[in-house]
Parts: sequence; C-alpha cells; structure tokens
Amino acid sequence: MRANRMLKVEGLTRRYGDITVVDDLCFHVNEGEFVALLGPSGCGKSTSLKMIAGLEIPDAGSIELEGKDITQMTPGQRKLAMVFQSYALFPHLKVIDNILFGLQARKVAKDEQQRRLDSVVELVGLSEHLQKKPGQLSGGQCQRVALARAIVAEAKLCLMDEPLSNLDAKLRNEMRSEIRSLQQRLGMSVIYVTHDQVEAMSMADRIVLMNDGKIEQVDVPEGLYNKPKTVFTAQFIGSPPMNIMHLANERLGVRPEHIAIADEGRPARVISCDYHGADTVVLAEIGEAEDRAEIIKIRYPGHALFAAQQAISVNWRPEHEHHFPVSQ
Amino acid sequence: MDSIWFQRVSKFSAYVLAILWVLPLLYAFWAAFHPPEFATKFALFAPLTMENFVSAWDQAPFFRYMLNTVIITTIILFSQLVVCTLAGYALAREEFLGRGFAFALVLTQLMVMPEVLIVENYQTLTGLNLVDTHLGVGLPYLASAFGIFLLRQTFKTVPQELEDAARVEGLSGLGIIWKVFVPLAFPTYLAFSLVSVSYHWNNFLWPLVVTNTEASRPLTVGMAIFGAPESGVDWSVISAGTLIAIGPLLILFLVFQRKFIQSFMHAGIK
Repeated sequence: MRANRMLKVEGLTRRYGDITVVDDLCFHVNEGEFVALLGPSGCGKSTSLKMIAGLEIPDAGSIELEGKDITQMTPGQRKLAMVFQSYALFPHLKVIDNILFGLQARKVAKDEQQRRLDSVVELVGLSEHLQKKPGQLSGGQCQRVALARAIVAEAKLCLMDEPLSNLDAKLRNEMRSEIRSLQQRLGMSVIYVTHDQVEAMSMADRIVLMNDGKIEQVDVPEGLYNKPKTVFTAQFIGSPPMNIMHLANERLGVRPEHIAIADEGRPARVISCDYHGADTVVLAEIGEAEDRAEIIKIRYPGHALFAAQQAISVNWRPEHEHHFPVSQ
Repeated sequence: MDSIWFQRVSKFSAYVLAILWVLPLLYAFWAAFHPPEFATKFALFAPLTMENFVSAWDQAPFFRYMLNTVIITTIILFSQLVVCTLAGYALAREEFLGRGFAFALVLTQLMVMPEVLIVENYQTLTGLNLVDTHLGVGLPYLASAFGIFLLRQTFKTVPQELEDAARVEGLSGLGIIWKVFVPLAFPTYLAFSLVSVSYHWNNFLWPLVVTNTEASRPLTVGMAIFGAPESGVDWSVISAGTLIAIGPLLILFLVFQRKFIQSFMHAGIK
C-alpha cells in the first residue's frame, strides 16, 4: 500500500541576482511523514521552507499540496502551520491569545477554538501559563507555545525552521523526543529544517540532504549513514566525519567507529588522543611512505592511552568500506 | 571629587531652570485666584476669589473656543495616526520602486518650517473654500513627516519572523498592521500623540490666519483677542482665561505623567 502524497515539490528554484540559492529542488512528503531538510548553513534549506510556506516567491518550479497546485497562493491561503527559530510569539499577547492567534484570524467558531485549545494545552503542558505574556516564560516554554500554535491549527502540513537551535543542549534533547512523539501521536506531516545531523537522524522518517542549493541525497537515516552516495554525504553524516583516503583510482571511505586498533593490519602512527568519556578519538597517520601518509580518525571505545608517535596497527572489515569515484 | 561638584552644580542648575520655567505658571495661578489689586502685589493672606474665572468665562466664548480646539486637535491626531501608520509601514516593510526617494522627500519635509508656506496654504484653502472651518485649520497638518519617520523607525525593529508568522496564520496586510505592528509600537504612538496634541493645542499663527469667526477659532487665537492690549490689560482675568485654556492638557499630563515619561523613555531607547 502506498502512502498518500501530502506535498510534492518539483523543480523549485530561487535566485538572488546571479546566485542560485535553491536549484531545481524535487522531493515529496507523504501523509504522516516527518521529513528533515538537512544541510550546512547557507545551503538553501530555510529558503526552500519559506517558499513552501509562501513567504518567498520561487523563480521556477511548483508546489503541490494534496495534489493541488499552491505555488501562487498567499501564505494565509495555504493553511499551513509554521514554527520559527525565534518562536515568533507576539510579545503583546497572552499565551492563550498567541495559541489561538490563527484561529481568531480565520474566524473559527468559539466553541471549536476552546475544544482545540483544551486538547493542545494538555498535550504540551501549558495549562498554568495561559494567562502569562511570552516575556515571562523560559525558552523551553516559549518553544511549547510555538508548538501549540502550530498544532492547534490542525494544518495538513507543519513546517519547522530550526525550532530547537535557540535552546540549550539538555532542553534540546528533551524537546527533540517530545516533538517526535507528538508528531507520531497526532500523525502530523512535518518538514523540519535543521543543520544538526543528530536532530535529523534521530527524528526524521526521511532526510533530504542539501548542499549548495542542490539535493545531495534523499534517504532514510540508515540509508544516509550506511550507503552515502557522495563524499559530501559521507562526511556530513556521522561524528567524527568519515575518513576519506585518496587512492590512485578511487577514494576510500571508512567511518572512525569502524576502524579497530588491533595486533595486525595496516601500520599507523598515533598523533594525538581526544578523550570523550565513552570513547576516545585517536588521530593517527596511516600509510608507509611519508608523502602518501593520510590522517585518519579512529573511534576507540573506552579510554585509550597511546603515546604520540606510538606505532599501531589498524584494520576494518571490507563491508565497511565505501568507494567513491575520484571526480568527487 | 570633581564629579560630586559637577553633580551639585548640575542639580542646582536644574532647580534654577525648573523654577524659571514654572514661574509664569505659578504667577498665572496667583493672579487668577486673587482680586485684581493683588495681581502685582504679593501678600500671603490675600483673599481668594473665583471672580476672575467668572468674568473671563462671561467675556469670551471659551467653551466654543475649547470645543473648536478639541475638534481641530482630534481631527489632526486621528488623521495623523492613520496616515503615519500606513506610510510608516510602507516605508519600513513594503518593497516598491522609489521607496528611498519617497522617504528622502518625507525627511526633506521635516526641514521645512510650516510658517514659510502660510501664504501658499491660505491660497489653497481659499480655492477649496475651507477658510474659517475646522478642517481648514487642520488640513496642512493631516500628515506628519515626523510621525512617519518615527513609526517607520519603530516598525523596522519589529522582527521579520513575527510578520511571517502572522501571514502564515492567515492575516491580511491591514490585519498584520493592526494586530501586530500597532500594538508593538504602542509606546511610540503615545509619545507621538502627546507631542502632536500639545503642538496643535498651542498652535497659534496658522489658526490666526485662517480663522475669522467663533465658528472655528481655537483657544489660542481666542485668548489673544481676549487679551489684546487695546482692550485694556486685566492680568487677573487674562490669567484666569489662560488657566481655563491650558487646564484640560495640564490635568491630562499630571494624571498620565508617569505613563508619558515611561513611553518617551521607551520610544527613545529603541
């Protein structure tokens, strides 16, 4: 059984003068699916999201929502929900009015507003803060209000623009799983823009990886990790990034966590050790000849105590090798 | 120790200036509440009287003048708020051809003294048949370059994401101005309104030129006619009349003093 298409984006392009920020973007979102738009800053992911929201006008391409072309519609007509990086709460309105802002603007009936408000407030746990102004709330609470405003709209598609990047690390982890579980419970279709691969990997059903305005790879998280199609994908996903070794007729990639320090294997020399707690990232030089030596990173479980310049042997299993053509 | 001396000197100067500033007002109060023979003579236990207010009120149609002033000031303020909001929003947020030029024109207008245009304006009003009407007194001031500039600057500080959020939530252009920009710029509106009301309440030259009868004559012009030297100067009655004229504004300011000063600070910091 094939899932219903919620959103289809085709050939979406945006130029600022001579610079093409988004170049021929094509992807789709199924109903109830969580799709992450992932990429380094400046890769055009936020611009893409704004075009889907109607806040930016594309130079070319089309956007279809449930089979209907919405490319020319105003943001209001598209009836999407959006969560912004800065939360975009109205400082002069109480929390309750912030949540109901869209419903009031769209003149939804009062009892319907109340019904949706009650359910969403319980969902995100804001009941004792409804009468406060956003200025009196913490960052995490503001984020919840922004989420509540998006959920209460009961929109077909919810757009999120780096919603967690203003929170501290601990809160970010909590909100990550909270957003994900809300999305699954409510069956929301979500496009989630982020530059944080951990967010994308842990939350998304599918990831659209962008680089320099173009799509690099669209895949499920395991696909991006296990079968990267390009050197960029290989190095963007995973931490520390995949080691790329330059061979004569190809490039060989091996992830740091797949390299073992063993009694036999390829000879290498330790440069330094970086202790992270659960594991240690060992920086080593591999290759016999001085001029062909390559620096690689090895993720070594536990606390490694290698002296600088110590000779070690490393090996990895053939199925962990990734091969890329030289042209990349 | 320099700074302490500096503080003392500046505090002293502030008091001197404040007293100089308030002296005419104090004198007006003194003269208005005492019989005419005490107008230029100070005696602590001089008898108090309301007689001056009664004779001032009887000698000139103050109520009519006050009504005219209120109507004129209201027309001007209301129209300025609407025009400046729309123009300020357009200059701050809308992309259109010639926006920079339009803004430069507004700024240029800030530098033109309104008095320079009196003759030209009078001719225009005659052409429109608006001489000696409330609208005629207000017409040259229905838009304010200062207000446009002030609101444009304030609107520019409203985060783009707030506007985006309102658009996604389905608000129209005017809806966004009304529900997002106006409430956020409230301190600026208050500060501007205060400046505008006190300027036009006290405006003299233009109303003097353009009004002929009681039908549209505001307080300031009425006071000038009332106190004209050729009719003999009675300081007590003039003081009483002056207090009647400035009373409403004075009370308004004293009541909302804290709020006004706060909003000035607020608008200033931004």
